[in-house]
Amino acid sequence: MTASTLIPGMRDGSKDMQAVAGRSLWDDARRRLFRNRLAVAGMAVLGLLVLAAAIGPFLVPFAFDEVTKTDVYLRPLQSGHLLGTDYIGRDMLARILVGLRVSLGVGITATIVSLVIGIAYGATAGFIGGRVDEGMMRIVDVLYALPFVFFVIVLMVAFGRNIFLIFLAIGAVEWLTMARIVRGQTISLKQAEFVEAARAAGMSGAGIVFRHIVPNLLGPVAVYVTLTIPQVILLESFLSFIGMGVQEPLTSLGTLISIGANNMELATWLLIWPALFMVVLLMSFNFIGDGLRDAIDPKDR
Amino acid sequence: MRSALLLTALAAASVLLGCGRGEQKAVRAPCPSGEACLEMGVGAEPTSLDPHRSSGTWERQIISDMLVGLTDADAAGEPVPGMATHWTTSADALTWTFFLRDAKWSDGVPVTADDFVAGLRRIVKPELAAEYAALVYPIKNAAPINEGKLPPEQLGVRAIDRRTVEITLEHPAPYLPYLLLHHVAFPVPKHMVDKYGDDDWMKPGNYVANGPYKLVSWSLGDRVVVVKNPLYWEADKLCFTRIHYYPTEDRISGERQVLSGTLDTHTPLVQNRIAYLRREYPQYLRTHQSLSTQYLFFNNTLPMWKDRRVRLALSMAVDRDFMTTKVRGMGEPAAYSFVPPGMPNYTPLPPPEWASWPLEKRQAEARRLLSEAGYGPKKPLKFEFMMRGYDPTGTYAAVQADWKQIGVQAVLNTTETQIAYQNYQIRDYVFGEAGWVADFPDAMNFLYLLDSKTGAHNYGGYNNPAYDALLAQANLEPDVQKRAAILRQAEQLMLDDIPIIPLFTYVTSNVTSPKLSGMVENPGDTHRARYMCKAELKK
Repeated sequence: MTASTLIPGMRDGSKDMQAVAGRSLWDDARRRLFRNRLAVAGMAVLGLLVLAAAIGPFLVPFAFDEVTKTDVYLRPLQSGHLLGTDYIGRDMLARILVGLRVSLGVGITATIVSLVIGIAYGATAGFIGGRVDEGMMRIVDVLYALPFVFFVIVLMVAFGRNIFLIFLAIGAVEWLTMARIVRGQTISLKQAEFVEAARAAGMSGAGIVFRHIVPNLLGPVAVYVTLTIPQVILLESFLSFIGMGVQEPLTSLGTLISIGANNMELATWLLIWPALFMVVLLMSFNFIGDGLRDAIDPKDR
Repeated sequence: MRSALLLTALAAASVLLGCGRGEQKAVRAPCPSGEACLEMGVGAEPTSLDPHRSSGTWERQIISDMLVGLTDADAAGEPVPGMATHWTTSADALTWTFFLRDAKWSDGVPVTADDFVAGLRRIVKPELAAEYAALVYPIKNAAPINEGKLPPEQLGVRAIDRRTVEITLEHPAPYLPYLLLHHVAFPVPKHMVDKYGDDDWMKPGNYVANGPYKLVSWSLGDRVVVVKNPLYWEADKLCFTRIHYYPTEDRISGERQVLSGTLDTHTPLVQNRIAYLRREYPQYLRTHQSLSTQYLFFNNTLPMWKDRRVRLALSMAVDRDFMTTKVRGMGEPAAYSFVPPGMPNYTPLPPPEWASWPLEKRQAEARRLLSEAGYGPKKPLKFEFMMRGYDPTGTYAAVQADWKQIGVQAVLNTTETQIAYQNYQIRDYVFGEAGWVADFPDAMNFLYLLDSKTGAHNYGGYNNPAYDALLAQANLEPDVQKRAAILRQAEQLMLDDIPIIPLFTYVTSNVTSPKLSGMVENPGDTHRARYMCKAELKK
């Protein structure tokens, strides 16, 4: 997107007006984002966590499903187990890294699925309006009423047990709220002058939606995404708990925490480490979300 | 008796979801004023309160507090006179005559011998398809009636008069008083079953009791409420006037509720927490060696398990000592045979030779057996292992890791407990796990599970005519020693076939408030609420 596109709503106050011509609004947004220290810290930490999840398991000397029979409930820093071992002698660091990988995978994949469906659906409904909007939103209402666990069971029966399916199932449910938020924003945006201008210039409906409306939605959507990721991670741990999510020996952060909570009187480290990773992960997502909103949506500043 | 020892933690999961969606946790209704309430965590949601349609220890607890059989259990689970005040046995030990006390159902209708005849005929009638019917097969004609070959009227139970019941057996069964205190042999209120039918008589409102408590309500996922039955013949001796049974599927939450005083007692515990409880809350922890076996089983009807070498390899590779000492950590004896140690009139079979080998040698042998059977790194043995609910102890994750060492990939499939049992019963699974607690202290109570005539409870679908014939022969043998020898021969025959992989004998575990009295630990984990009391309620 370039500055030549008519998006007055994206324009910032006076200082950007004097900016050198040719710098895009996205450059401005990026600059504002990188000026936000918390957001930068969040991005750095998230980057580290993603890196750890991606290559960490290969660097730990123990496999995540390797049972060391002499090392049950080992405290941290004993026998080479940096974060200790669990109730059947598996290395906690290896398990946390694998759990992080699963949780991040679920969180990001499911959120992207919900983002794509939710934005396309909500923006279409909001922009077209009228009976189409009514019909589309009633479908959303009906889907809302569908019990989530029931939906997952149906999927499992139809397609078999598969971790990829969990990602899809969660994404396929989470888009509903996203669609509602996007629709509401679209309805208020389509009255804006720049949309009228685009229409007057003869732009097609789809063009207006994707060139003008969707970019202006990114503020609230970014905030909602930061809320969705933790929600999805939690949902996944719920599914694992009732036996429909990841199965032993695979694990996720949510599963590790629930096991840790069960063992907290016996072995605090089973709870503390995965909980710490979860907190850091969620906080970095939150800081990035805050920073993104401030950077993209100038109205909030 | 099925055990709830390895059940799911669904409740915790729903709380987890509850947090995620910002819901409020339900507030537990307090004990109504003027009532003495017993708050009991039974470990699972009952499938049914029908004595002939339930088989879990958690269902037994509730049903046995409402209904009483010819005999009843004392606080330690031993048989004492129940509805029958006394009984006589014929010289050939085949005919037993029971004399009933003058008692009433909770709606005022007298309990008669006909109610017992109706109850025993009901459990064996084929239309009811009671999964536990095989337990009463010692009664004359029970097996052919259950298979639909004879009409229920041919059952060896008759009412001599309103207060006398005569039971005729197929073969001597000295354990009959134990069997009769089990809920399979409970009477049903004939007048209510005739009126409402097999499905509706046990609903709250219709359910009449002849025991100390009567049903008030059953809210799914919440609790079962019973109150004192004033027509019970010892109603004045009851300490508690009201009992709330909670389906505490989350066993750790159940345990914490007892420690915080919300519940009076809860069973069972997560085994690997026992060491912690023993250290921190010794006055709350109650354990007892039980007559039970935890075992894995093959779906023997599947072609993939036809090769004995594969079954032997899987059994050999399981490190039972690691499981009992480290993973579960409560010193449960490892099991290599099905009938647990401590069974009266029975000597447990010696473990197989390989049990004493070091694990490495067993693994090498298991790998060799598997490769002989055509499995190897290029074609690994892979199968789905259906578990009854979430396993917080990691027992099966340890088994899975043991098998990975010999190149076997077991995919764990955590299935909701009730669904898992249903799948086991219709043989819609590949590999499963279960536990069995003795219903009566006799080796037959274990061995009959693998009899091909047993039906639903023969989860693995084991079918060996030679084994069935030995059990039938043992049933007819009056001499205790000779009978034991035949049973041991049968068990050895079955174990050599490896239809099951015995793991260990477990220990019963309750966490009970020290204020609660009248709960005596016993191998069958039988605890009738009528004996329980709290110090502050004693009159």
